[in-house]
Amino acid sequence: MKIFYFAELKQLIGKSQDLIIITKKKTVSEVIIDLRKKGKNYDYAFSKVTNIKCAINCEYVNPSKEVKNEDELALFPPVTGG
Amino acid sequence: MKIRIQKKNFDFAREINSFTKKNTNVGAVASFLGKVRKTKKNKQIISIDIECYKAMATFQIKKIVKKLNSKILINDYLIIHRYGKLLPNENIVLVLVASKHRKESFIFLESLIDWLKAKVSFWKKENFINHSEWVEQEKEDLKKLICN
Repeated sequence: MKIFYFAELKQLIGKSQDLIIITKKKTVSEVIIDLRKKGKNYDYAFSKVTNIKCAINCEYVNPSKEVKNEDELALFPPVTGG
Repeated sequence: MKIRIQKKNFDFAREINSFTKKNTNVGAVASFLGKVRKTKKNKQIISIDIECYKAMATFQIKKIVKKLNSKILINDYLIIHRYGKLLPNENIVLVLVASKHRKESFIFLESLIDWLKAKVSFWKKENFINHSEWVEQEKEDLKKLICN
């Protein structure tokens, strides 16, 4: 599954995307828990950026939503465009 | 009906001219031009960086337009939103709306901007002389949304 990071989350992790393989059903929250174990930069980024928003295939979703390997998951702080 | 997400600047006069020429059977065209401010809380802004998730931004704008258009009937719209490094006084976003009567254009335009600020995947970072700050979403922006 492709995971995209944006804005401050991307800056703190130090990369814009990851590719992970899910071997069993997982929710977005569970994926984030796994990501935090990938390194201090991930753990710090997810603790510093509160109120993280998630989108699966460009649609906003609740963190309790399940993801599949073929999904594109985006994680980011609240948007500030316009 | 057009959405353009681009790095390069745009010419407001040229855009409104070509939009109004295209829409000859309407009674109103409303416009909003968002620009980079020179200061924030008395601090000088050197530049801003706008990041975007293009695929999601396009998807979300189309979804919002469809939702709004089911309640507010308009004839045409154009949205241009820039990303990348922008300097003070440069254009950030342009929204043009054409409708039969002014009321629809005004309401549609304001609602669309509210939605852009609250849901569409752009993020701003302001660069000051000695530091940079990611802009935080205003809670008030979420309360304004119609058709939520």
